Amino acid sequence: MNLVPDFRTFFLFVLGSFAFAWFGLIVLPWMELGHLAPIKDEGSNDILPWDTANTAHQGEHVYAANGCAYCHTQQVRPTTSGADITRGWGSAKDDDGKDVTRRTYPRDYIWQHQVFLGNSRNGADLTNVAARFPDAAALYRYLYDPYVLNGHSSMPEYRFLFITRKISGLPSDDAVLLTGPDAPPAGYEVVPTAEAKSLVAYLLSLKKGYHLPDENGPVAATPAKS
Amino acid sequence: MATSLSTPAAKGFISTDPELAAVDASVRWPVLVSLLSAVHWMVVGTFLLVYASSLAHPQDAFPILGWFVDLSNNCSIFTYGRVWPAAIDALVYGWASTAGLGLAVWLLARMGRVPVALPGVLMTGVIFWNLGVAIGLTGIFLGDSTGTELLEFPTYAVWILWLAYALIAVCAVVTYLGRRPGCDHLSQAWLLVALFAFPWLYAAGNILLNSHPLPGSGVMQGLLGAWYVHGLYTLWLAPLGLGLLYYLIPKVSVQNIRYGSKAPLAFWTWLVFAPWTAVHDLVGGPFPAETVTTGLILSGLLFIPVALIGLNLIPTSLAGEEKHHDHGGVVLPFLTLAVVFFVATGISEQILSIRSANQLLRFTMFRECNQLLWIYGFFSFVVFGSMYYIVPRLLNFGWRSAFLVRVHYYSSLYGILLVIVMVGFGGVMQGFTLETPDSAVTIVTANQVTISFYIASTMCISLVSIGNGIFALHLGWMLLDWLKVRVRSNHLASEILLEPYEAPETASASREVSA
Repeated sequence: MNLVPDFRTFFLFVLGSFAFAWFGLIVLPWMELGHLAPIKDEGSNDILPWDTANTAHQGEHVYAANGCAYCHTQQVRPTTSGADITRGWGSAKDDDGKDVTRRTYPRDYIWQHQVFLGNSRNGADLTNVAARFPDAAALYRYLYDPYVLNGHSSMPEYRFLFITRKISGLPSDDAVLLTGPDAPPAGYEVVPTAEAKSLVAYLLSLKKGYHLPDENGPVAATPAKS
Repeated sequence: MATSLSTPAAKGFISTDPELAAVDASVRWPVLVSLLSAVHWMVVGTFLLVYASSLAHPQDAFPILGWFVDLSNNCSIFTYGRVWPAAIDALVYGWASTAGLGLAVWLLARMGRVPVALPGVLMTGVIFWNLGVAIGLTGIFLGDSTGTELLEFPTYAVWILWLAYALIAVCAVVTYLGRRPGCDHLSQAWLLVALFAFPWLYAAGNILLNSHPLPGSGVMQGLLGAWYVHGLYTLWLAPLGLGLLYYLIPKVSVQNIRYGSKAPLAFWTWLVFAPWTAVHDLVGGPFPAETVTTGLILSGLLFIPVALIGLNLIPTSLAGEEKHHDHGGVVLPFLTLAVVFFVATGISEQILSIRSANQLLRFTMFRECNQLLWIYGFFSFVVFGSMYYIVPRLLNFGWRSAFLVRVHYYSSLYGILLVIVMVGFGGVMQGFTLETPDSAVTIVTANQVTISFYIASTMCISLVSIGNGIFALHLGWMLLDWLKVRVRSNHLASEILLEPYEAPETASASREVSA
């Protein structure tokens, strides 16, 4: 069983087998996906996919550091390979309030600095989380205590993203509206930290309320510079 | 069996072959340090895993954990999203990789029948590796985690690990190149593959995903992440473990490898097919359909190397156990189980390469089952078996108690079996819930289904942790006695070795067989 007669030959064969997988899994897909360009919508003159604000990009770091991606995915599979659409994870509203329900395409992710596709659904898919939580206040409440909205939630409470402080003067505009056992003592308020604000800005950017030409079949590659 | 009983205790555990004895002596300190630090990370990682697992379900079942939950809610350091990756990283980089590196260097030296080259460099490498893991874990807890699976270590820890790896690998490859003529063995090929694969994986993963991501790379990050995670299991941990198994099983069981002529075929087919298991994390996602289809076909052929490796090692091991009665001592049962778990892991990968099964299990606990099979099922048992074999030879000192070995064996075995059954079955149930074609079913329904399986898996992981803890304590006891003996006199040493500590099962493990 002398597998290594000549170190150099052996090394080349091993290198070849690694390179085969690298080529198939990384290089070929890169040629297809590496230079996806945004597209201008004919009707509304919108640039698609929707751009992401700077605070949202800061939120990506909070999302990463606290491991949200270990329980939440951000991808909607087509109806042919999963029930994601049936679960309602592919639905959002466009600017005119019309329903847009669809799978996600590689082009949807081109603005994100770090892409969190995820591999586990202990929690709901977050591709269109902003469509389900209309405003920041609702998300703050959910992050502070998930059990209020979902009694069976296995999501941790992210209370360390908030500060309970004494109200001096007028209450803060950002103060989280909490009731029941979560409510702060009289004269105190619960306010989100900068981290919580950027995380929520990021979550609110997660909405795919637009149609991509990819839905009608492959789009001819456009030069990256256009 | 009886014949081998009388000799080892009297002679000690040093190999009767002076060449091998010299090899073992040359690697003694670096390998011991790597193994001890690995066991330390195993304890840390297992504790973190139990803690993380207990956070994944309501704590009614464990009221005592309420305090921990309050802590994790109010203190960012202990939140689930930091503890879970820290646990897996401690197990993969701290436990499996540290032990794997130490054992790989030892094995390359032993198979080449030369003392290890550059032992000082090796020692430095091992120390820096541990430093890197410690800093990386601290970074995760403090909120510097990159959020990329298995690449969570922040860049400042990655550089230390890189340097450490380079030192250890240089030492290993130089040792291999300086081997005695004719000392070639299949295990060397497996170990070299692991040593080549890791730098490629770790460099590409860290640079392209964390430190210098290509602008606008979008879903390419998903492809790279999948390639890295599966590459780490199939091209790093698997070859390290198989290298050890292909050497130790024939040696300890004193048998030739059955169907040995098929072993090179298993080797090459594994290298070609195994990295394609990456597409198991891509099915249905926003990726090129042809990549996924090609990957499913190629990873579906994984049964060829898995079957051949099982056919090589399981009959060899069983023949050894049969021949030497009493399950062939301490080492062989662990190694046999390692192969059985390897085949089980292969089967679970095989299930995931069926498109419809993958669709069902893709985002469920089943993935965790697969991960734990690699770490706790396959690799841990390889390292346990190897450590029961090598540590007495490095210290010239026996394990203290056959009873503790047995407790360790059964609690690890049943613990991991139960975890796999619970998490695997839970994954199937979760999958059926999430894939129900009824829009009334929500994530809340799925949570209700998984809760009981998570509670069960916490309990079973606790059982594994008891086994691991007993192993660590046994090792500590052995070292303590060894130190005591060193401080006193050699006369006492032989006395202690002959005392009832040296139970028959333990003694037979030290049987030295010429290579």
